[in-house]
Amino acid sequence: MTGAPATLLEVRDLTATFSRDGVPSRVVNAISFDIAPGEAVGFVGESGSGKSVTARAVMRLAPEGSSIEWGGRIRFKGQELLNLTEREMRDVRGRRIAMVFQDPMASLNPVMSVGQQIDDMLVRHTGVSARAARKRTVELLSLVGIRDPQIRADDFPHQFSGGMRQRVLIAIAVSCQPDLLIADEPTTALDVTVQAQILRLLMRLRRELGMALMLITHDFGVIAGMVERVYVMHGGNIVEAGEVDALFAEPKHAYTQALLAAVPRIESTRRPA
Amino acid sequence: MSEAPTRPRSRGQLLFTIGIGMLIALLVIAAFGPLIAPYNPSTTSPNSLAEPTAAHWLGTDSIGRDLLSRLIVGGRSTLIITFAAVALALGAGLVLGLTSGYLGGKVDLTIMRLLDVVFAFPVFLLAIAVVAALGPTVRNLILTIAIVYTPAMARVVRGPVLSVKRWDHVEAARSVGVGEFAIALRHVLPMVVSPILVQTSLILANTIFTVTALSFLGLGPPPPDPNWGSMLAEARQFMELAPLTVIGPAVAIVFASLTFIVLANGLREMLDVGSR
Amino acid sequence: MLRMILVRLALTVPILLGVSIIAFGLMRALPGDFVLAAAGTTSVSDEVIATMRASLGLDRPIWEQYGIWFGNALTGDLGYSFATKKSVASELLPRLAVTAELTLMAGLLAMLMGVTTGLASARLRGRTDWAVRGLNSLLLAVPNFVIATLIVLLFGLYFPTIGIFNYVPFAKDPLGNIGSLLLPALSLALTVSVTISENTRAAVLEVSSQDYVMVARAKGLLARTILGNYLVRNALTPVITVTGLQLAALLGGSILIETIFTIPGMGQYLFDSVSRRDYPVIQAIVLVSSTIVLLMNVLVDIAYARVDARVSYE
Repeated sequence: MTGAPATLLEVRDLTATFSRDGVPSRVVNAISFDIAPGEAVGFVGESGSGKSVTARAVMRLAPEGSSIEWGGRIRFKGQELLNLTEREMRDVRGRRIAMVFQDPMASLNPVMSVGQQIDDMLVRHTGVSARAARKRTVELLSLVGIRDPQIRADDFPHQFSGGMRQRVLIAIAVSCQPDLLIADEPTTALDVTVQAQILRLLMRLRRELGMALMLITHDFGVIAGMVERVYVMHGGNIVEAGEVDALFAEPKHAYTQALLAAVPRIESTRRPA
Repeated sequence: MSEAPTRPRSRGQLLFTIGIGMLIALLVIAAFGPLIAPYNPSTTSPNSLAEPTAAHWLGTDSIGRDLLSRLIVGGRSTLIITFAAVALALGAGLVLGLTSGYLGGKVDLTIMRLLDVVFAFPVFLLAIAVVAALGPTVRNLILTIAIVYTPAMARVVRGPVLSVKRWDHVEAARSVGVGEFAIALRHVLPMVVSPILVQTSLILANTIFTVTALSFLGLGPPPPDPNWGSMLAEARQFMELAPLTVIGPAVAIVFASLTFIVLANGLREMLDVGSR
Repeated sequence: MLRMILVRLALTVPILLGVSIIAFGLMRALPGDFVLAAAGTTSVSDEVIATMRASLGLDRPIWEQYGIWFGNALTGDLGYSFATKKSVASELLPRLAVTAELTLMAGLLAMLMGVTTGLASARLRGRTDWAVRGLNSLLLAVPNFVIATLIVLLFGLYFPTIGIFNYVPFAKDPLGNIGSLLLPALSLALTVSVTISENTRAAVLEVSSQDYVMVARAKGLLARTILGNYLVRNALTPVITVTGLQLAALLGGSILIETIFTIPGMGQYLFDSVSRRDYPVIQAIVLVSSTIVLLMNVLVDIAYARVDARVSYE
């Protein structure tokens, strides 16, 4: 490979087909998009639009017990992800591409301390010793804003609030300094006051670690100030794409307009064109 | 890696049909045993531990009695005791479970605590102790086993009752003034039926085990009526000489238990109770 | 937590009392018989009967008798055997140890078989799942004493040189002891393993669909790490507690297995006592076994609570 590719993630004609009782249904319909290194991109749409499935496609994570057929091309740093074996994919997950999920309450293993859950990530992908891993774990916990990280590392998930658990999960996700961080509705399950904190944390980490960010949400309000470009999804298709400011000012597609109208604004008298 | 799921309902129906078939066979044997059996099961003969022949399809036991006849007639007492005991347990369990679940509160607590006492015993040891104390008559066996399984039945009934009790249409009926008893009967009971059917089948299988185990230990109905458990125990003495005397009763016992297990599985899949 | 344990233990007391009353009451159902059983023969003069009644305390009111018996039991005095005239406690203890060993082996075997098949069933699905569940249903239909008898028959017919009735005490020959208990433990374990297998399967299926397993996969952890630390560790806790609850079934089955394999345990002791109408022994065994089962149930409850604290989301 000569020279680094300009695009970090290049997706072409991605399709995802669920099979239930032998009846197939297409949830993502030949979409294409790009993410450049260090870029922040948003995916907006209501539930069922296929945005979460798209995120799972990049990680190739089908939900347990169901089978999804992926089609199209997903090129990450020049490598075709859909051609990789499951074993090779495991080397990519967590190390090069990491993910933060929606519900922090159920996302941590209840019988392991939070420290152990960051340690095992570090040991697995960077091969350091347990002691070195724990040192780094404490640094990471501090990085995401957890007080007394040394002590807290030995605590169990049920001893943390929802917002704190999400911080831990973010720590896990960035621990190996991935090139791309996918955040699937990272604040939806959190209190409003905590939401802003988490979003700010994501922004800060992205800046400091130079990661690209793929932010999935149904809430246009979350997108504002977080990403540079947006893809709007509906019914498994990308209906509109563009720079954030442009989209806010002049949404072209009827659906985008509807989504924007749903966001409570300070200038309540003015409605988008 | 998961293959296309086979539809549970039709598989359930298949199992259920097979189970019913087996059950009918059992009932026929129980009802008409002595008429079907080629010999009188108590008739001894000098032809002991014989191999299977045309005269004796399964051979004979240690005192020359025809094995096949003994197996056929032997099912009788086992099955009668089983059905009677479970019927009693079911009745008592229904009453207790419905009352306890529906009335809730203190009544529920008291009844459950009382049942816990029986539950605490290793079931089988309790049965042995009682039968040992009161004597192994058919009546005592039925009563003991019924008592021992009543808590399990009551629990099975109570569960769905507790959840159904809170359903909206029950609230609605209550608000219109329908009597508590009528509510219990018309609304709660039907919901409870499916898990009860499944559990009853399983308890029937379990009871077969208990009854045959008791007679294996010599605590079953006294001779001369043959029964599978004691036949198995007696056969141990000369089992290498005539393996059929052991295999015969073993197969009979397994067949009877299997009938109810197949029924239970079939019901479970058909009624979609606790399907995974 | 400590308070919860104490409360739970306290709740056990009324049940234990109830159990003891039943155990006591059963044996006194036929008082006339009781004395005759103690005498050991039916041809005995009235004076002797009267003396025996007095010495056995049967002339006292029934609740006093119960009180004395229960009080003694609490201090470890379980009365005296009618047959051997020796202290029941002294005869019961070594036999209880043997049964405990048998039960422990059976429990471990059952867990080994059950967890393996349940795990395979849940993870591999398809044919394996179908086969395991079918086999389980079949096994459920075969009572443990039938299995044991068939095993004895099998060995008698095809491996007559291998002795299966030679129980050796642990102190004399530890390896031989374990070897002699292997087949009996297996007979006991097979039926119980079915319950464990089904529970494991359900637990693993449930855990597999949890969010934290998805997160573990997203972390790119090795398959065996996910299986061990995330799946099995969480699925196993309910399984272990269920196994604890199987103790009652194991104890009940031990009487049959011990009789078949001629193992000098508590079960065989009970059987002999029943044949000889040795009521003090029967009473004592019922009381002791129920107490053990009750204590095990309390342990299981405590284990549940401990896991629950970690797993429940307010």
